[in-house]
Amino acid sequence: MRTWDIIGNRRWGYLLSLLVIVPGVLALATWGINFGIDFTGGTLLNLRLGEDTSLEQVRATLRPFGHEDAVIQKSADRPREVLVRTRPLDEEQTARLEAAFAREYGGAEVLRAERVGPTIGRELRQRAVQAVVIGLILQVIYITVRFRSLRFALAADIALVHDLLVVVGIFALTRREVDSSFVAVLLTVVGYSINDTVVILDRIRENVNLRLREPFDRLVNRSMLEVLVRSLTTGFGAIVALVLMYFFGGPTLRDFVFGLGLGVVTGTYSSLFVASPILVEWQRLSERRQRRPAEAAEGAAVPELAAVGGSPLPARRRRSRRRR
Amino acid sequence: MLRLFGRIIVLLLVLAAVQLAAAPVGLRGLRPYLQPPRLQVNLGLDLQGGSHIVLEARQTPEVPVTREAVDAAMEVIRRRIDQLGVVEPTIQREGERRIIVELPGIEDPQRALRVIGQTALLEFVNTGAQSLPEGATWNEAGTEVTLPGPEKRTIPLKKEVVVTGADLADARAAFEQGQVSTGAPIVTFQFKGPGAKKFEEFTGSHIGQYLTIVLDNRVISSPVIQSRITGGSGQISGRFTLEEARELAVLLRAGALPVPVEVVERRTIGPSLGRDSLDLSLRAGAIAVILIIAFMIALYRIPGVLANAALLLYALFLFAALAALHATMTLPGIAAFIISVGMAIDANVLIFERIKEELRAGKTLRAGIQSGWERAWSAILDSNVTTLVGAAVLFVLGTGPIKGFATTLFIGVLISMFTAIVITRMLVDAVARPPLDRYLRFGL
Repeated sequence: MRTWDIIGNRRWGYLLSLLVIVPGVLALATWGINFGIDFTGGTLLNLRLGEDTSLEQVRATLRPFGHEDAVIQKSADRPREVLVRTRPLDEEQTARLEAAFAREYGGAEVLRAERVGPTIGRELRQRAVQAVVIGLILQVIYITVRFRSLRFALAADIALVHDLLVVVGIFALTRREVDSSFVAVLLTVVGYSINDTVVILDRIRENVNLRLREPFDRLVNRSMLEVLVRSLTTGFGAIVALVLMYFFGGPTLRDFVFGLGLGVVTGTYSSLFVASPILVEWQRLSERRQRRPAEAAEGAAVPELAAVGGSPLPARRRRSRRRR
Repeated sequence: MLRLFGRIIVLLLVLAAVQLAAAPVGLRGLRPYLQPPRLQVNLGLDLQGGSHIVLEARQTPEVPVTREAVDAAMEVIRRRIDQLGVVEPTIQREGERRIIVELPGIEDPQRALRVIGQTALLEFVNTGAQSLPEGATWNEAGTEVTLPGPEKRTIPLKKEVVVTGADLADARAAFEQGQVSTGAPIVTFQFKGPGAKKFEEFTGSHIGQYLTIVLDNRVISSPVIQSRITGGSGQISGRFTLEEARELAVLLRAGALPVPVEVVERRTIGPSLGRDSLDLSLRAGAIAVILIIAFMIALYRIPGVLANAALLLYALFLFAALAALHATMTLPGIAAFIISVGMAIDANVLIFERIKEELRAGKTLRAGIQSGWERAWSAILDSNVTTLVGAAVLFVLGTGPIKGFATTLFIGVLISMFTAIVITRMLVDAVARPPLDRYLRFGL
């Protein structure tokens, strides 16, 4: 098998991650997330009208009720369906609105009518954050115990935060509406990301236990390549299934499937280009720290050769570059 | 011997699962009979249409919100829903002061909401010589009345309650009859023993005065007492439509809510959208599963076929578990199902890739299979447990659809570990001996 030097090329990985995450975080900071009524509170009416209509007409129908700021959505492949999002309305107001639509467009079948009070929305947001944070912490604890190493757990976790930032950032960038099922998307992304990372970490653990005299970065690279076929097989299979679901699963599932697809891609990517490189960086850092007192005492670079084993020169060069 | 024992157990499990999931055998008394199999899993509101309503009890100066009060309110709501004739409603409490009501397949959700959310405290008030117009309202403290009309004039008037709806034994909608029959819809009522007595005494001693009928502090009518009313029955005539009269009768029969409630969330899914979602997600699921099956066969040939067989058993076990737990299948639940299918497949991919490595390293088939399973185990365990941890957190903190997602994911991951590891191993072992073993190449 050809050997790819993933660890050697890890800087490109960092760059790619930043190229995706930075715009996402900027979008998050400036536009924020496009929260649906699940999180903000409000009324949602999804109607199937008796005849085709346009956005302008719908807006005109809403105007007498004082819903100038309502969000109206129509999808091109279902011209008779309209989706209106506005502030929380009580039953009577909702009924009057429905009646107005039915009068003007020759009938209005209620596909979906939802009202979420503002307190419920706020609670849901709090709980969503809580669920993600608590889930993360418990998973870190589990990995720490199983791998007897906080280092592995934190590497998996940084990869995970990376994936969450990618998914949330892209949702913010594309202005996709986020509803309560987004929490499920995030948790699934968490699950997939951890799953994929754990498989690689597991192989690294196994190879470390074999106690071959192999430099750590080489060992990590080899471990990744050994499980690469599995990572790509599973990831590819999941993506193909999700793509089909995106096109044939109907509009209600679309954002959900989109989020999962993002999660699979970034989850697979981050195990290779985030979690494993972090282990290597960490290893280098701790080796250097161990060496430093020795260095000071002996004033020689000789132990470095023994410790890093592979290529002392590039390691040194990198170190001096960072100091600048 | 041990192996035979294991196979018998699995066979029994499969039979039990088929019965749980699809019930091909019914029982009439003690006599079993065959029936056409039907999936025994309930569909959630998002797939069959219906209303999901969350009510929150509101604190008032007189009535603090306690656990008992909310429980009593739930009881009243249950009675009201039964009166509406909804099939299989679920009513649960959530936390200290919330009640979740789910009404599958309901046709007029707005009517249901009016009926469920109203406090429906009926009071017969002694207003002496004062007649009040319909629509006049008392303030919360019961000290003054606001008259209807644009100027909203208020007059001080103490609310002196004679009897309340709590004393009613029955209430029905009817049409007005008598010498000057208008045929207008009315509500007739019947007091219980003590209430009837109180009513009779009061009407006997206050002839010529007004007895105002008040519902939730709003005046319905203000009739003058003509004569002593014996027997404890009477009628309320407001300006009702027939439907309003029926609703009021329902409310009076079921009793008033001990605490006022407020609708804080309601979601109605129309039946056609529910059916659409069900069809589309089933189609998406079928596509995903067919694709995965083809994918596994293409990659691993015969072992892929065996993994697929284990996968089908997985689906069977999952539906059996959901049926046994009386869980409902929701849209997020279907997503969780597909995710756990993915994890089951991933476990087999992990194992098979490992076997390939072992075979490449020169091991024999039997030894390769043995160490493939042993060495892949830790990765499968760790990745599945981390997913279980996430699902458990979602289950505890999530509500409604998220909880459904978490339930299916949790059960699905547990079962998929069993089928992907134990069942696939059994099938592979059965094939891994001459003359069949030459088909086990794991795509090498």
